[in-house]
Amino acid sequence: MGGYGDVKLLREDGKRLDGRAIDEMRPVTIEAGVLPAADGSAMVTHGLNVAVAAVYGPMEAHPRKIQRQDRAVIDVRYNMAPFSTGDRIRPGFNRRSREISKVTAESLESVVLVERYPRSKIRVEIEILAAEAGTRCAGITAASVALADAGIPMRDMIVGVASGKIEDTVVLDLDKAEDNYGQADLPVGILPNTGEIAFLQMDGDLSVEEYNLAMEYNHKAAKEIHEVMVDALKRRYEGGEA
Amino acid sequence: MSKGQVGAEQRLVTPGMVVGPSSGKRAGSGMIAEKIEFIATRVGWLHEQNNVVSVSPINSAYMPRSGDLIVGFVAEVRNNLWFFDVNGPFQALLPMSLAPWKVEFGSTRKHLGIGDAALARIQEVDEPHNMVLTMKGVGLRRLNEGAVLSIPVNLIDTLRGDNNSMVSRIRDVTDCRIIVGDNGRVWVHGSSDDMRVARELIQTLNQEGHKNTFESAVKALENERGEH
Amino acid sequence: MVELVPSLLRQELNRLAAEGQRIDGRGHFDVRDVHLEVDCLYNAEGSAKVVWGDTIIYAGVKFEIRTPWPDRPAQGSLMCGAELRPVAHRKYEPGPPSPESIELGRVVDRGIRESGCIDMGELCIVPGEKVWGVMIDIHVLSDGGNIFDAAGLAAIAALRTAVVPAERFDVGEDHTLKVNGTPIMASFKRAGGRFVYDPREEEELGGDERIHITLGDEGHLHSLQKGLKGVFTPEEFAEILAVAEQKCSELRKMVAEKEGN
Repeated sequence: MGGYGDVKLLREDGKRLDGRAIDEMRPVTIEAGVLPAADGSAMVTHGLNVAVAAVYGPMEAHPRKIQRQDRAVIDVRYNMAPFSTGDRIRPGFNRRSREISKVTAESLESVVLVERYPRSKIRVEIEILAAEAGTRCAGITAASVALADAGIPMRDMIVGVASGKIEDTVVLDLDKAEDNYGQADLPVGILPNTGEIAFLQMDGDLSVEEYNLAMEYNHKAAKEIHEVMVDALKRRYEGGEA
Repeated sequence: MSKGQVGAEQRLVTPGMVVGPSSGKRAGSGMIAEKIEFIATRVGWLHEQNNVVSVSPINSAYMPRSGDLIVGFVAEVRNNLWFFDVNGPFQALLPMSLAPWKVEFGSTRKHLGIGDAALARIQEVDEPHNMVLTMKGVGLRRLNEGAVLSIPVNLIDTLRGDNNSMVSRIRDVTDCRIIVGDNGRVWVHGSSDDMRVARELIQTLNQEGHKNTFESAVKALENERGEH
Repeated sequence: MVELVPSLLRQELNRLAAEGQRIDGRGHFDVRDVHLEVDCLYNAEGSAKVVWGDTIIYAGVKFEIRTPWPDRPAQGSLMCGAELRPVAHRKYEPGPPSPESIELGRVVDRGIRESGCIDMGELCIVPGEKVWGVMIDIHVLSDGGNIFDAAGLAAIAALRTAVVPAERFDVGEDHTLKVNGTPIMASFKRAGGRFVYDPREEEELGGDERIHITLGDEGHLHSLQKGLKGVFTPEEFAEILAVAEQKCSELRKMVAEKEGN
């Protein structure tokens, strides 16, 4: 979280710089089955973010040391394309992408019925093609739809969504400026059916009341995004309006 | 899609979707019971038959079961056994003793080399990662000609049809020999032209299978080719 | 991961070649459906998406300001890189860039660089102090065969539609990057003993060597690469070179049309 109060992020009329209300999400579109080579795939656009996920497997877990005798491991790679940000990113893993990959994998392991596939691995590849704050959430959403598209059994999908705080006001779904100059960011992964939380990170400064409000916004947004996820899978298999 | 369908309307479910109360019913495949409700675990069509609620998935990886007829490729050869890629997460093992030939220790490569295809049956599955194949049985053999095509395993029933009626029609209309493996591999053999027609038909199934347009594609081909 | 090559696939490719046919019914020098989209990525200064059969590739152009090399104080630089990340196919594994990724990036790089379409002198801002570094990154999302041609097309289309972000770096006004030419690659694969243009996945798996030819607007050769095991005759090369000229000019027209929009 960047500076406090030196950049105006709320307008006189109470709306945000891009015209959104404080509890309004950026538009989300999802398409399932976008990559012919993958076993399952999805593309998510969330505001200006573009995340693509591919799923391969289950396959034999290699190297052997990652094998689990009683379940599958989910091998996630979250990666930002070199051209996805303002300044070019050098290709390759960095500390940030390693951490996001790790916690994303662990959240997906909480919903995938991993005990069905002992000694296997399921590869989940998340590629960020354009980044404008909120890529890890778009990546989780994309990964969930890709897993469903690949026919991997799950007790629920995970919806990635974030709220935060700008100018002492809790707002839903931070954009780039709000992320840079805001006071807090709370990205979570929510199971839409039960409301349980599989992914949780936060940085900045939130009171307990502010946390509760941010979570309320997150749950509301998760329901909306979940409808788009279900619709994407239905369109793929029902053939849409046509 | 004809089997086990209660009511005309088909319902597409997605993972995590609550399908209804679980009382008095059992959860079949693609379904789990949590507290008093059934939850779908896969994308697919909802089925209920004999009080068992299940999902027939629209996409699924091959999970080997004993007795399955499979088309495999030799991935590794040892002195006394072969390892086969059977389109599952793990390779399957064919011991020399279950080959259809009399094989001497060390001469396995003379019978089947890397990349060779064979029609075999899964003899035994201890665990998904421990599978034994057999090639002793009627029709089990090395596949010396033709081509091996792939389809998602959930479309196998569509390709075969009731009592293999659909695959028979496809054999007739394409003039090809066709064997549909339980592992989503389809062996096709005929003239180059006929094989291309068969390949296109199976491509149609891969792309459109879930839309039930496959049968009309077969019918169209029957009308077209029947005129010649 | 080394892919298993089914013996039946090689046998079928041989038979099809003998009959003058191809696995998907194409003529041996026919191309699959190619779709090109430009300016499709927020944050990239130039971008393109190519859907070529089952292959999907994005290219993005980024600029940076750097100090020039001491021996070339008034020249900027151009670099083109590719990554064959595991998203693109089951066969690609995680880890440092594979030799295949590096080959892909370098073959595309040479075609663009050696065509002279970018004047390195034009990339100079203050001699000896500030020059533009132009970087093209190729991102393969789905490998359905012939990633070289798709990558080359995406890269040149992204470059030709790029805008130099001078305002962001406080060195003048944003302007379109000057690109003098449209080098295009055409790739051939030996499948069943003879060369085919635009190989699909099965032909790559069951075939032998490949040849990549990049031609400039005047039909001049700017980059050649022979990859994988196999040898070819001068007569074979003469034949595919003639085909390449025609294929490249068709794709060059496609790029020009997209720029017009």
